[in-house]
Amino acid sequence: MSDLTLKSIRKSYGAVEVIKGIDLEIAHGEFVVFVGPSGCGKSTLLRMIAGLEEITAGSLHIGNVLCNDVEPRDRGIAMVFQSYALYPHMTVYDNVGFGLKLAKAPKDGRDKKIRDAARILQMEHLLDRKPSQLSGGQRQRVAIGRAIVRQPEVFLFDEPLSNLDAALRVDMRMELSKLHQELGATMIYVTHDQVEAMTLADKIVVLNGGEVQQAGAPIELYQHPANLFVAGFIGSPKMNFLPVTVKGIEGDTIVVQADEIDDLRVSIPGATARPGDAMTLGIRPHALRTGADGPIKGTVDLVERLGNETIVNFRLGGGTQWLAVLDGDMPLHRGQTVGFTAPEGEPVLFDRDGRNIAIANPQAEKAA
Amino acid sequence: MTTTVSTPIAVPAKPRHRRRSSPYPTWFLLPAAIVYGILFLIPTFASLYFSLTRWTLFNSSFIGLDNFVAFFEEPFLIQGVVNTIIFALLTCALKVVFGLGLAVLLTSQIHARGLLRSVVFFPVLVSTVGVGIAFTAMMHPTDGIINAGLGLLGIKGPGWLTNPSLAIYSVAFVEVWRGVGLATVIFIAGIVSIPQDYYEAARIDGATGWERFVYITLPLSRPAMVTVVILSFIHGLRNFELVWAMTRGGPGFASDVLASVIYKQYQAGFYGLSTAGNVVLFVLIAAMAVPLYLYLNRKEGHQ
Repeated sequence: MSDLTLKSIRKSYGAVEVIKGIDLEIAHGEFVVFVGPSGCGKSTLLRMIAGLEEITAGSLHIGNVLCNDVEPRDRGIAMVFQSYALYPHMTVYDNVGFGLKLAKAPKDGRDKKIRDAARILQMEHLLDRKPSQLSGGQRQRVAIGRAIVRQPEVFLFDEPLSNLDAALRVDMRMELSKLHQELGATMIYVTHDQVEAMTLADKIVVLNGGEVQQAGAPIELYQHPANLFVAGFIGSPKMNFLPVTVKGIEGDTIVVQADEIDDLRVSIPGATARPGDAMTLGIRPHALRTGADGPIKGTVDLVERLGNETIVNFRLGGGTQWLAVLDGDMPLHRGQTVGFTAPEGEPVLFDRDGRNIAIANPQAEKAA
Repeated sequence: MTTTVSTPIAVPAKPRHRRRSSPYPTWFLLPAAIVYGILFLIPTFASLYFSLTRWTLFNSSFIGLDNFVAFFEEPFLIQGVVNTIIFALLTCALKVVFGLGLAVLLTSQIHARGLLRSVVFFPVLVSTVGVGIAFTAMMHPTDGIINAGLGLLGIKGPGWLTNPSLAIYSVAFVEVWRGVGLATVIFIAGIVSIPQDYYEAARIDGATGWERFVYITLPLSRPAMVTVVILSFIHGLRNFELVWAMTRGGPGFASDVLASVIYKQYQAGFYGLSTAGNVVLFVLIAAMAVPLYLYLNRKEGHQ
């Protein structure tokens, strides 16, 4: 058993608090991704789990053991660094076997484990090389190999793919996913790339300003973002936003108005709103459909025709920039006026505090 | 596991060789070449010539290798060479050991780190002769502070500079005290340039503080190590000021090093002979330092 439990974890550097009380449960075998913008505290949180940063307050349990003051080597973890941190003076073989050597593992067993890891990662032919003789992707493999041989309960990855080129990143992403299935270990993965988060994670934890904004399954976060931040961060291209006012309520349908668009009907079952409330409307670029008399009208600024889809960059009446991603090829051109509709169930409304009004209790979502 | 993705190997683009068609860049070498020529090349070749002459500073007559023959017949030459090598090896080894130790200490999280770094470096700034005179006073057999201190503990201190078998070691100790600051600074520069990631990875791999030193700090500060070894070794071989300020090669000739033997010949007016000695010293340093340098830098290209 290697469940991870973080309770009110805090981290301060002097007077500056960078992690502001994080509660999180990570089940055994889960692939959890910490995602957030630079400086949100995701790497710090990972390093606290690794034992490389002290925990200022709160408790960290790995399995049933309180690990706040346990040395990294005794936590049953392995970590892959963004820079890979391969020891430059050792061969791949020695790099991978370094932890076992320090643990005074018998030489035969050590050799077998190193070769097993090399076989899993298809790098048997690299064992005699030094890190400087490897390409970025190969170094990545060695770094993962070094983590595997220790047979940890928990793997920690600190932006491991950010130094690779785009094509290799996609390959390694798939490999990591396979590796997770193969090993069945818990993996915690830090990235600022929301696509990586969406594709790899069983559970995404969105962090900002040292706090958990939302934690949940990727599709859950995409479809039901708890607040404006998560809505803006998850999903590519970004969600379109516009300040609106509630005009009227018809059962489960809220009618909103704004200067830049015509009245728009949004269906949100069970949501509470009063006419006159100021809200923020959010619509994903993929939710927009062309329709000449749709409530959303704008002037096309830029069209990116990718063949299978068309990305339209347009300006609303008041100058707000929005994006629409349309299926198939659309021969629109710059300067053209286009109208869009949005199905009633698609738009999201956020209250004055930025919370999604469809999610009554954001705390409940957080704990999920 | 069946990973099917093959990793493309990044082949670094071959740097294009630019054809040097213009002599223009060569002109920029000229100022440095002139300075180097006047201050180094000409004196070096001049001394090679004068070592083959009987030279009185005003006129010289060519006498072939007679000066070298005379130099090697110098009665205390062997003692001087042995002392020189002992001095160089000892100061070099101790500077490496203490320099590395201090550098590790001064790169760790300790109080007043900046102040301590300055304190360790201060002796480097003091005039060598001044250091020599101060330590000569401190090492006085009866009145010196060292033996006075030992006396308080009931220990009768030796004659640090008056005991013939001890004098060269005492001078070497002072040289280590004087020069360890520079070695420390070089080691500090080497250690702080080691990325912190390696230490963190090693901690996760389970390395203790000592293991991190042995497996990370020591091998990765090798460029600094090479610099310190070469500099201290050459400095040790050429050492003159400290020996002269503290013992003048004495008692007798017990702490004479090559440089002090040569200086004595200068004083006696044998300019050609002492120049020959300098040529021998130059060759000796080159003969020991160059192979050492090549040895220490072996395989560096793979790292």
